[in-house]
Amino acid sequence: MSDVAIHHDPKPGDHGWTQTGVSNEKLGMWVFLGSECLLFGGLISTYMLYKNTALTGPRPHDLYDIPFTSVSSFVLLMSSMTMVLALSAIQRGDHERCRVWLVTTALLGSIFISGQVYEFTGFVKHGMGYTTNTAGSAFYTLTGFHGVHVSLGIVMLMSLFMMSLRGRLPQERSEVVEIVGLYWHFVDVVWILIFTVVYLIP
Amino acid sequence: MRGPQRWVRRLVLIPALFLLSSCSGKQNIFSPKGPVADKINKLQVPVFVAAGVVGVIVAVMLAYVVVTGIRRAKHDDDEEPEQIHGNTKLELTWTIVPFLILVAVAFPTVTTILNISHRPANAMKIDVYGQQWWWSYEYDLNGDGTPEIVTANELVIPAGRQIELQVHSRDVIHSFWIPALAGTRDAVPGRTQILELEADQPGEYDGQCKEYCGLSHANMRARAVALSQADFDRWLQDQQQDAATPAAGSEAAAGLESFKAKCASCHQINGVNEIEGKAALISGHAPNLTHLMSRKVFASATFPLWVIDTQGRLVFNRNQLETWLRDPPAQLPMAPTEARGMPNLKLGDAEIDQLIAYLQTLGPYPAGATAPGS
Amino acid sequence: MAIIEAPDSEPLALPSGGTVAPRQALGVFSRPGQSKGWRSWITSVDHKRVGVLYGASALMFFVIGGVEALLIRLQLVHANGTVLNAAQYNQVFTMHGITMIFLVVMPLGAAFMNYLMPLQVGARDVAFPRLNAFSFWCFLFGGLFLNSSWFLGGAPDGGWFAYAPNTNPIFSPSHGMDFYALGLLITGIASTVGAINLVVTVINLRAPGMTLFKMPVFTWMGFVTQLLIVFAMPVITVALFLLMFDRNFGANFFNVNAGADPLLWQHLFWIFGHPEVYILILPAFGIISEIIPVFSRKPIFGYPFMVVSGIAIGFMGWGVWAHHMFASGVGPLSVAAFSVSTMFIAVPTGVKILNWVATMYGGRLTFTTAMKFAVGLVAMFTIGGLSGVTHAVSPSDLQQTDTYYIVAHFHYVIFGGALLGFFGGLYFWWPKAFGYRLSEKLGSWHFWLVLIGMNLTFGPMHIVGLQGQPRRTYTYAKGYGFEFWNMVETIGAFVIALSVLIFFINIVSSRRNAKSEHLVVGDDPWDARSLEWMVPNPTPAHNFDEVPIVAHLDEFWHRKYGEDDKGRPVRIAATTEVMQKGDPTGVHLPSPSYWPIVMAAGLPLIGYGIIFNLGFAALGGFVLFLGIYGLGLEPSTDPDAAHPHDDRDGHDAPDDHAAPELEAADEPEALTEEVTADE
Repeated sequence: MSDVAIHHDPKPGDHGWTQTGVSNEKLGMWVFLGSECLLFGGLISTYMLYKNTALTGPRPHDLYDIPFTSVSSFVLLMSSMTMVLALSAIQRGDHERCRVWLVTTALLGSIFISGQVYEFTGFVKHGMGYTTNTAGSAFYTLTGFHGVHVSLGIVMLMSLFMMSLRGRLPQERSEVVEIVGLYWHFVDVVWILIFTVVYLIP
Repeated sequence: MRGPQRWVRRLVLIPALFLLSSCSGKQNIFSPKGPVADKINKLQVPVFVAAGVVGVIVAVMLAYVVVTGIRRAKHDDDEEPEQIHGNTKLELTWTIVPFLILVAVAFPTVTTILNISHRPANAMKIDVYGQQWWWSYEYDLNGDGTPEIVTANELVIPAGRQIELQVHSRDVIHSFWIPALAGTRDAVPGRTQILELEADQPGEYDGQCKEYCGLSHANMRARAVALSQADFDRWLQDQQQDAATPAAGSEAAAGLESFKAKCASCHQINGVNEIEGKAALISGHAPNLTHLMSRKVFASATFPLWVIDTQGRLVFNRNQLETWLRDPPAQLPMAPTEARGMPNLKLGDAEIDQLIAYLQTLGPYPAGATAPGS
Repeated sequence: MAIIEAPDSEPLALPSGGTVAPRQALGVFSRPGQSKGWRSWITSVDHKRVGVLYGASALMFFVIGGVEALLIRLQLVHANGTVLNAAQYNQVFTMHGITMIFLVVMPLGAAFMNYLMPLQVGARDVAFPRLNAFSFWCFLFGGLFLNSSWFLGGAPDGGWFAYAPNTNPIFSPSHGMDFYALGLLITGIASTVGAINLVVTVINLRAPGMTLFKMPVFTWMGFVTQLLIVFAMPVITVALFLLMFDRNFGANFFNVNAGADPLLWQHLFWIFGHPEVYILILPAFGIISEIIPVFSRKPIFGYPFMVVSGIAIGFMGWGVWAHHMFASGVGPLSVAAFSVSTMFIAVPTGVKILNWVATMYGGRLTFTTAMKFAVGLVAMFTIGGLSGVTHAVSPSDLQQTDTYYIVAHFHYVIFGGALLGFFGGLYFWWPKAFGYRLSEKLGSWHFWLVLIGMNLTFGPMHIVGLQGQPRRTYTYAKGYGFEFWNMVETIGAFVIALSVLIFFINIVSSRRNAKSEHLVVGDDPWDARSLEWMVPNPTPAHNFDEVPIVAHLDEFWHRKYGEDDKGRPVRIAATTEVMQKGDPTGVHLPSPSYWPIVMAAGLPLIGYGIIFNLGFAALGGFVLFLGIYGLGLEPSTDPDAAHPHDDRDGHDAPDDHAAPELEAADEPEALTEEVTADE
């Protein structure tokens, strides 16, 4: 069991060998995202139940600025594209480009988050706080959970960026970028769902 | 051999269990006293029997393989068992047969579900409200949306007539249950739920809150009193009267003043005060005392207000009421500091006497009762 | 490796025996290197040690939950009991339920699944060893956090089911329900992380040749269980977050005055809660599916049906949740649908029971303690299952619900099912884990007393339930016919307590006498069937010298036995020829780590912070992130620990090209772990 075997052609029982050929890390991420589907499923259902039950104060629907949210949704959607570009760059061995796209992705994510913060500040000014009514609680909880997910994604992207800068993200390890990418795409897809269900459907 | 003994014991236990459980108890679920509970019982008895039969069959099979398996291990020392890996026909059999049994159970189940959940057209409607930790009943006789009769702890119904209870809650989830008359229905705040029930005969039927509702859940009793139609009509008339005003200068009159000073911020007596919905409690309601003495129980139907004495007479249970007034939270756990339940009002002896003298006037007394003091 | 230094003691005493010269310290912690002593336990990432830790902690909580049960029974021994007051009783019954479900039965299942599933699929390790360790510490700290509520203003008092709005601060003003929400969130993280680990382990790390339908039934049931956890936990996570936001941050999810619907909680809770029932029972089903064939000397009858029925139970478990809500007012059509779906879940369960019976049929049964418990499970669970059918019939459930009849039902299922199975599993696999067995004599006492005790305790609950005694009541009055049977139940509870005491005595005395003749076992003491027995007892740290190539279900058995023309087993190889030697040469294991426990320590701090002072929460968050980054940046395998090639190639130079490459291979895992752990 030489080093060569470990790294290039792992045998059963070796570190890195799997039955399916999919690495543990990637499969783990898929399973985790499966779990996350039910988390967001629960939150979205809660919002759907409560979106019209507010007894006092404005409901989220009364306050939406669809054009604004469309733009920030578009920004987040674009970040999925830059994520793909980052992955393909590192798979080619183009570390410079990879870093650029990682930072761009994180930046687009940050723009989205800033948009959320701006939007919510406006909502609060118009009288819909977290505790104002059921719809408000459900809205902020759902979008808040999503926002936390995006923020953690940004932290991961920046960690990748730092690792790449320090030369600790070689081409062979492009799967790390792929795995973070899976998470990032998932979070984007969830937003598309939230945007449709929460914002667009009256 | 210990194995078989265990099986004998279990085989005896199962039927014994059913015999024992169907013999006694005021809240027994096997003694329906009205058509709704009877429908449930007609469904559940065969299901219990079927479950028991299946249980006995499985037990016998298990006992057989255990006994023969032990014997084989003891006697045929070197004989290894045949390695049977399975048998598809058998597997399909014991998949399909239970399936068919369950289909046979499912049909009457669904029929009964639909049958007991329909709303009878001519039923008498009564609103039931659960709140920590007692039940109140409101009768809106003319259908104008405000109840003419508000009472507590005893649901009074005419025997032989379909009743549609509209079950509500004023705080947490409770569950209304009179097993002899019908199954359970949760009282969910913000919702109105329907429970149909009917008593065949006049009588008194016990039940209690079934959904855990906090501190004194165990003491939240329910009780239905079914009267003959004539008695019920009289009851309706009586309950719609305001309370009588005691003669000036009497002990009862002093008690009324005490009531106004100490009790009236929660309890209502029609003709004296109006506090329903505005009581200084989370639920906004305390038992309406207008015709307190017409009920045989008080304090969430936990304590008898009328008892049979040694001479067989139905007499006022003054001691119990006095004990209660002296320190209610010591009698039943409540959370008065959190506006949930009755506080200790620190009443003096004289004041308690006066209050009881007044409360005694809040008739009419139950049928056959010996009037206090006579 | 910014925050790691090389061990200054001997490196993990694994493969080569060679040592590495201590290197310059580079960071805060020295990489743990002990293989003995308490430090080796808190830093272990070995799935077997994690399993043992899970089991030991669960047994500790079992004692706590058991004391709570005895308090309940003492309070109810007579009408109008005065042992506890109403407030105390409500906390005790709430904590009894929470403890037994989340801190005893689930982690006992996790103990078996952690220890055995990798062994049964022929893996050297789990997919994410450090996350697995994190999962355990997270569970332990979550459990301690929950129990600390007793000393910090009162335990949860809203029932384990915590129906809204009774959990609103107006109705439950102590911090108890905050501890409930946060404590279960923490243990929920533990379960989810552990489940992802085991799911990936089963999918990815099966030995060559072990197709899904050659996996042992226990591994299958564990696999289904872990999938249920993966998908059920997030649902209660949502519910618990909503509750926590309501109580601590003024949200309106269960505030009826703001228009909230209390049934939201019930739906979320039971969508989790019913799969949870199968999370509790399926591991025990798996355990006895291993025990019964071994002691019948026959293969499991109808293996594919056993597996498929387990999968079917897992699936159908998602479609029956509203049977907990027949009285809640979900509408007659829903009631009818859930009533019917609930009945039909009895079909796969029945298939299992009949297959166990058929496995024993015609077998040579050896009634070891493990086998006694297994047969006990079949009998007791059948009773619980049949009483379950009686309340699947929803109109009768309207009478039975919330009475002691239900309490009887689920104790026959959870105690008579899950716990009897776990006890059986402990007797069965004790030699596997520790190299000696538990005393069969004491074990027999344990079994018979627990069987008699549980029937005395829970049997009469059927009767008082049908007589109308509601559950969750701290007192009952005379005159309802409850007194006699409640007395019997209390006596039964103390018989159970006695049996558990005997069990603990058995553990202690067997450990003390481990060297004595009747407890010493060689390898393969039961002539067993599955791969975990192919390695020596106790299991060596590296599991398998060489990963076995699997050709059969019951691979180990098939290496020992062939079949004659009558289908009877014939020895083809001596056990010693088949057994692996436990020789770790050439095996390379993940190194111990401090970070899992550090990470886990952050969570209860966050919990206390949310309840008492957000400053703690900030500190907890800092600890958590420190742990995540520490774990993420540390290679899962200590590059400085001795490697196989060090010996052979005669150089241990950290500067040669192999070392960076090793890190490279290891770190993707680290990063993913960071990602996962963030949730």
